[in-house]
Parts: sequence; C-alpha cells; structure tokens
Amino acid sequence: MRRVAVIGVLLIIGAMLFYAIGKMPPMNSRNTPDKTHVVPRYLEKGEEEGGARNIITGVILNYRGYDTMGEVTVIFSALCAVVALLDREKRGLSRSGPDASGVRSSIIVRTVVRFAFPVILFFAVAYMMLHGEASPGGGFQGGAILGASVIVFTLAFGLPESTRRMPLKVRTPLESTAMIGFLSMGFIGIAYGVNFLTYLLPGVHGTIAQTIRNLMITVIELGIGIGGGIIFISIVFAMMREDKFELRPDIPQP
Amino acid sequence: MNWTLNLLLLMFLLTTAAVAISLRDLLAAAIVFSAYSLMMAILWTQLRAPDLALTEAAVGAGVTTVLFVITIFKTTRRED
Repeated sequence: MRRVAVIGVLLIIGAMLFYAIGKMPPMNSRNTPDKTHVVPRYLEKGEEEGGARNIITGVILNYRGYDTMGEVTVIFSALCAVVALLDREKRGLSRSGPDASGVRSSIIVRTVVRFAFPVILFFAVAYMMLHGEASPGGGFQGGAILGASVIVFTLAFGLPESTRRMPLKVRTPLESTAMIGFLSMGFIGIAYGVNFLTYLLPGVHGTIAQTIRNLMITVIELGIGIGGGIIFISIVFAMMREDKFELRPDIPQP
Repeated sequence: MNWTLNLLLLMFLLTTAAVAISLRDLLAAAIVFSAYSLMMAILWTQLRAPDLALTEAAVGAGVTTVLFVITIFKTTRRED
C-alpha cells in the first residue's frame, strides 16, 4: 500500500516535470528572454560594468558579487565546523597517512608527485589566479587546484612532511584572506560613494583607472585562491589527524 | 562526430551514477563517483563552460574523492 502511494506520488511529480519541460522554449531558440536581453547586455556592457575582460569573471566578481562573497563565507564556515568537530592536527601526533598503517607510499608515486607538484602549483597560481581575469578559471578554481596539489603531496609523503612545510602558524592567518580581500576591495567602491564592488572608480580615468581595476581584481582573485586553497588543505589535515600512532615493525620502511 | 561523443559520455555518466549508488563497497563507490565527476567535467567543456569544467575536475574528482577516502579509512568500508 505504501509502495503504491510512493510510486503514485513519483508518477505525479514526474508528469508535472515532463509537462513543464514540454512548455520550455526549445534549446538554442533565439527568442527566449536570456537571448534577447541578458546575453546582449553582458556582451555589450559586460566589460564596462563588470570591470573584467573575461565576461564570466565580470559576472562572478561584479554582477553576482554578493553570491560569490556568500560562497566564500560558506567554505570558511565549513572549515569552522570541521575544526570545531575534529580539532586541528597536532604536531608530533600527526605522523601517518590516510590508512594509519605507517607504510610509506611507493617510489613511483613519490617520484611522480615530486615532478608534478610544482607544475600543478604553478598552473594554479600563475594561470588560474593571476590570469583568470582574461581566461577561463579564476580564484576559486585556482584555490581548488592549489589545495588539491598539496593534498596529493600529503597523500604521497604523509602528513608530517606536509605539516612541517605548511605549519599551522602559516595557515591560520591565510585562511581568512578570501573574505578580507573581498570585503576590503568591495568597500573601496563604497568609500568612493558608488556601489559595493565597483572597479572603475568615478573621477579616475585613463590608464590609471585600468591599473587600479587590474590591481583590485588581482587582489580579490589571489585572496579567494589562496584563502580557498588553504581552507581545503586545513580541512583535509584536520580529517587526517591521528591521535595514536605506532610504527609497524613487521613492515620494512623504505 | 561530436554528438556521438556526447552520447557516449552521457551513457557512461548514467552508468557511473547508477553503479556508484548500487555498490556496497564504499571505497569502490567513491572511485566510481570520481569517474562520474571526470565525465561531468568533459561534458562541461563540451557545453563550452570551461570554468565549470575546471571546478568540477578539481573539486569533484579531486578534493571530494580524497575526503571520501579519508572518511572511509576512518570509519568502515562496507555498507550494511
């Protein structure tokens, strides 16, 4: 009886969804509002209003700047929740890999990571964050790749090696750079009497205005990238933390 | 042909999604889910959304899988 009721409800919801899909304009139609109003507006005025050469960056950092700030707050809150539940990793106790077996990874993995790690890091910082204004990518993507590269390093070389190179003292102040960078750059516009997150300030013209705009966007992108990346790293470190650790004497350590 | 590639990718996407749900071994499910994210990233580039593709590849296939694997090692591997 209950199963019949569930299937009936699902069928009704499915019929409603398919009916709604049938009413939608066909894909690639030129007459929908987004094609007649939104896209031309972004293409014509995106650089002027959004302040970035890549329109997607302009949308992310200006048209929906509050949304992006909310996303930055969300990952910061995630880190706060993880730290509140699991506590930070402690020096001297965090000695093991994810499986707590105390066995080092194979030489193939370590060599590949040793060669790939700087390349991934360079890609994340130089292309994604610093060049993200004019090309695909941006602060958040760069931060995710930055975090992933350090996580790969941690998986290959173990948590003690990573925490030695990236100690808590260095990470803690960097975790808030995303929000601090975003808010400080956003309030520059308010200080000038215009909207939050305005890059082309009134009363400033010519190349100086372009330079100021590029500087502000670079600060925001670097802030989101480094802050987001460090937050990812700190979450993984807190989750990998081991309270008890024993070397396995029966397994030879290379 | 572009649409055949897209069709193959979509079929593989659906397969990996179904397999990831039905697997009882959580570690295998996490790896299959990372394959799902990789397919999704390729599909985003096919839909001309490179920004989303980069995010999906880095967060979906990379960081999330690592978090799943760490959690599985800290808890249990089998789903009862």
